[in-house]
Order: sequence, then C-alpha cells, then structure tokens
Amino acid sequence: MSPASSSTAEVVLRCEGLGKVYRSGFFRIPYVGLEDLSLDVRRGEIFGFIGPNGAGKTTTIKCLMGLQAATSGKAELLGKDHRDPESKRGVGFLPERPYFYEHLTAREFLHFYGSLFGLPKAVRAARIDELLARVQLERFADVPLRAYSKGMLQRAGVAQALINDPELLVLDEPMSGLDPMGRLLIRDLIFEERRRGRTVFFSSHILADVELICDRVAILVGGRLRGLGTVRELVGDRIKHVDIATRVTAAETELPGEVIRRDGDAVILRVGPDDTDRAIDRLRASGAAILSVTPAREHLESVLLDEVQRAAPINQKRLGVLA
Amino acid sequence: MQLWAIAANTYRENIRDRVLYSIVFFAVLVLCASLVMEEITIGDQDKVVRSVALGAIRAFGSVMSIFLGIGLVYKEIEKKTVYTIVSKPIARWVFIVGKYLGLMGVILTMIALMAGLYITLMLTQQGPPALSVYESWWMLTVELGLLTAWAILFSSYSAPITAASFSIAVFVIGHLADDIWRFGLQAESEQVRQIAGILYWFLPNLSVFNVHDLAVHHLPIPFTQLVHATGYGLGYTAVVLSLAVWVFSGRDFK
Repeated sequence: MSPASSSTAEVVLRCEGLGKVYRSGFFRIPYVGLEDLSLDVRRGEIFGFIGPNGAGKTTTIKCLMGLQAATSGKAELLGKDHRDPESKRGVGFLPERPYFYEHLTAREFLHFYGSLFGLPKAVRAARIDELLARVQLERFADVPLRAYSKGMLQRAGVAQALINDPELLVLDEPMSGLDPMGRLLIRDLIFEERRRGRTVFFSSHILADVELICDRVAILVGGRLRGLGTVRELVGDRIKHVDIATRVTAAETELPGEVIRRDGDAVILRVGPDDTDRAIDRLRASGAAILSVTPAREHLESVLLDEVQRAAPINQKRLGVLA
Repeated sequence: MQLWAIAANTYRENIRDRVLYSIVFFAVLVLCASLVMEEITIGDQDKVVRSVALGAIRAFGSVMSIFLGIGLVYKEIEKKTVYTIVSKPIARWVFIVGKYLGLMGVILTMIALMAGLYITLMLTQQGPPALSVYESWWMLTVELGLLTAWAILFSSYSAPITAASFSIAVFVIGHLADDIWRFGLQAESEQVRQIAGILYWFLPNLSVFNVHDLAVHHLPIPFTQLVHATGYGLGYTAVVLSLAVWVFSGRDFK
C-alpha cells in the first residue's frame, strides 16, 4: 500500500469545479475545453490522468501551472491558490513535448532553471550533477541541447522538473515518443520519487504504464471527469475472456470456442467467462489435454473506450454548449 | 536573482545568435568604409566621415533594437520555452522586464563595440572625439531603450512580421513627430489636425534624442536637453514596458 492510499493523507493538488472555455475566431465562438473538474491528489501518491486526445488533460495541467487562466472554479497546489506564483515553489513541471533553449548546454540549462527557484550556485551545482546522473545524461552535460535527440531532451526536461526537489511533480505525457528504455527510465524515476515521499501527477496515453504504476487514476473524456479511483476500482474484477491452451485429438472436429492460434494439435481457444467450465468439460470428454487456462482481465483501455463511447453525444454538444 | 537569471539567459541567447553577428559585420564594414568617404568628398571631409560613421552606429543600433526586440517574447511563446518559465514561481512582469534587460545588455554591448571601433578610427585619423559624441551615444542608448520596449510590447501579442511593421512605424513616426506637429498646425482640415495631434501626443517623439548634428560638428549639447530627453525616454519606456507586462499577464499559452 502506498502512503497515499489513506484517504486522510494531505491533499497536495485540489481542483474544485475547474473549467475552461476557449473562444476563437472573429465571433468568439465558445468551446468547452474543461468542465467542472473536481479532484484531490494526496501526498505520496502516483496519480494518472488519462483520456483521448482533446479530453482536456493538457488544458487541466496548463490551468494548474498558470499557462492558461481557468474560466471557472478554483485550484490549489500545496495548499496555495494556483494563481499565486509562490504555489509553484514546491512543484516540478514537465510540459508535453518540451522545448528548451537550444543554445544552452544541459548543465547551463539546469543552472538557469535552478536560479529561477533562487537556489544558490553551490546547491545547484551539486543537484545538477546528481540529476544528470539520474537521467543518464552526465556524458552529454556540456553538449548544446540543439544536438540532443528527442529522448534526451525529454530526459533533460525531467531533470529540470526535479531541479527544485519538488514535493509535487506534474508531468504532461512524460513517456510520449520515448523508446522502451526511455519509458523504463521515466517509470523508475516516478517510482523513486514516490519512494522519497513525493507526489506525482501525470497524464499519459500509454495506459499500460498508467495501469502499472498509478495508485489512482482519473479518466477525462470530452472535458469532463468520467471516472476516478484505483485501477482496480475502475476496471473491477471483470474477466473479459478466457484463453484455454489445449492439445486436441485427431478425432476432435468441432472445438468449443474461437481458435486464436493453431500449431499442429496444439490449439489456443478463446471462450467467454461463463462458457469456460463447459468448454473444458467438452475438451476433456473428447480426450484433449488441458495445458493452461488464462483469464484475461479488463484493462483501463476498455474502460476508457467504454467511457469515450458513452460520452460521444456529449462531445457532439461540446461546441454548441454555450452557443 | 530570477530577474538576473532571465536577463542573463536572454543576453546569452542573443549573443550566441548568428543573426547578430551578421548585423555587427555590416556595421563594422560601414564604419570602416566611412573612411573612404574622405577620398571622395569635397569640403569638410572630417565632418562627413564623422557623420557617416555616427549615422551608421545609430542605424545599426536601431536595426538591432527592432529586429531582436520583435522576436523576443513571440519566439518564447512560439517555441514554447515560455511554458517552463511561467510555470515557475516567478511573476510575469519578471519575465518581461528580465527579457528587456537582457536585450538591452546586448544592445549596450554592441553600441560599446561600435563606439570602440569609432574611437579607434578617430584616434588614428582625426584625434579624440568631442564630449558631445559620447553624449550622443548616451542619447542613442535611451532612444533604443524606448524603441526596444515598443518592440517587446508588439512582440507580446503579435507575430514578428506584424511586430516589425508596428515597430518600424513607431520609429519613423517618432522621428517625424515634430514635422507631424507642424503639419497639423498648418492643416486646414480639423480632422487632420486632430489626427496629427493624437499621433504627436501618443507616439514617442524620438527627435528629442537626435543630437547627431551637434555631435558631428563637435558642438556642446545643452545639459537641460540631455536631462529632459533622458527623463522623457526613461519615463516613456516604463509606461510602454508596463503595457507589455499587462498584455503578457493576460495571455493564455495554447
């Protein structure tokens, strides 16, 4: 159990009815980017923020970090109004697809961000060495960022987000565009921050990662919160289907399920959860050997897809909701 | 410290920009070429050389001020580097003022460089420059400070091409301010008089900084003119920078 799993843990990020309406074009046509978002993120938890493109994830993060002004509701970061620049003192932030000053080397770049937090030079220097090692960029510390690959830039971005040793880390799509090694590095960093008692709030499209590392997850679709809870609470114990690996006899002609792979007499059958016993009985009766029975549980992906389908009519109204 | 960090980063970014070196290269070229004027001029050759060289410093200073200023904030928004700055515990005015101070540092460095070259050329050709030449560089610095503030204001809400057009318009109208006022007084149409009056009072009067002729002729610049122009320039710059801060503070970054 993470320290955050207690509902009494201190709230470090709070949104209450947060909303954002964009207005575009000559006639200032409204578009709802985010509607009435309320959620709490507790100290020490890894909180995942998922949803399809245009769901409002980045809008939420931009409102929280002061890049956009929310049009309704309020939010707090570490107990302070998010509009107060001081609320960011204990927060580390990595934007989606980060862009940095290409004329700087990684070391200069981190010194720059460290000085924005008012860190003394000696503290910055020590922390920069430590961070460059953590993101595996120490060999490239004095190379200008313009020579960095996308993955290296992302890692440099994570290092700048950690320069102030933040209590709350806000990451917008931190694994986007990374190779498996890069994703693993970011995952490890997130775990490491949690072990140090820090809180991580991140958005992601990579649901497998979210499922693996998050204590709690919020699902956002069409600018609205559609689900909030632990992965288990969201996904439930539902079994989607069962895969039965079996070795059939030559006499077996009609198999009791969908064949998803066949290699000689070795067959993998997929059956519904309610048909499993009947299928196994039939296979045994025909003399087939049962090699394994693997239940496939629901994943966040299917929960998200369900929510997207359910929200489709709402999405269509989004443009005209204020018109 | 934050203000200094943003100013230092802006300074470093611009000093490492190749575009700046192209401008400096041409400035040095023109300054050196001014010596050739001596050979092809009839009359007071020394004054012609001084006029061309000091004019070149003014012109290249203005070019730097406008063309570096117009991209200053826009580039940060376009390249999204601003995301990681405004999400830090800094007020937005710190960002604008820091960027301004950083760019002014670059402009001062470049004026110092060109002035150093001018002094060297003069020492080898005509003898030491008069005090009024140094004072004219001070006036130029105040003028460029104001021009840079305008460029940053335009850069805070519009793309570089639009910002460049507006900044050049301010530069041209600013230098014609006295003429516009005189033209307004002589105009028969009430509307023309009103437009001339609005332009005169709302746009900067850059001609107050123009002491080019006095410097070229090595004539003294009245102290009151120096003080008035400096006060006017710094005050106007503070107003324009405040406007830039106000515009930037209300911006959403999409």
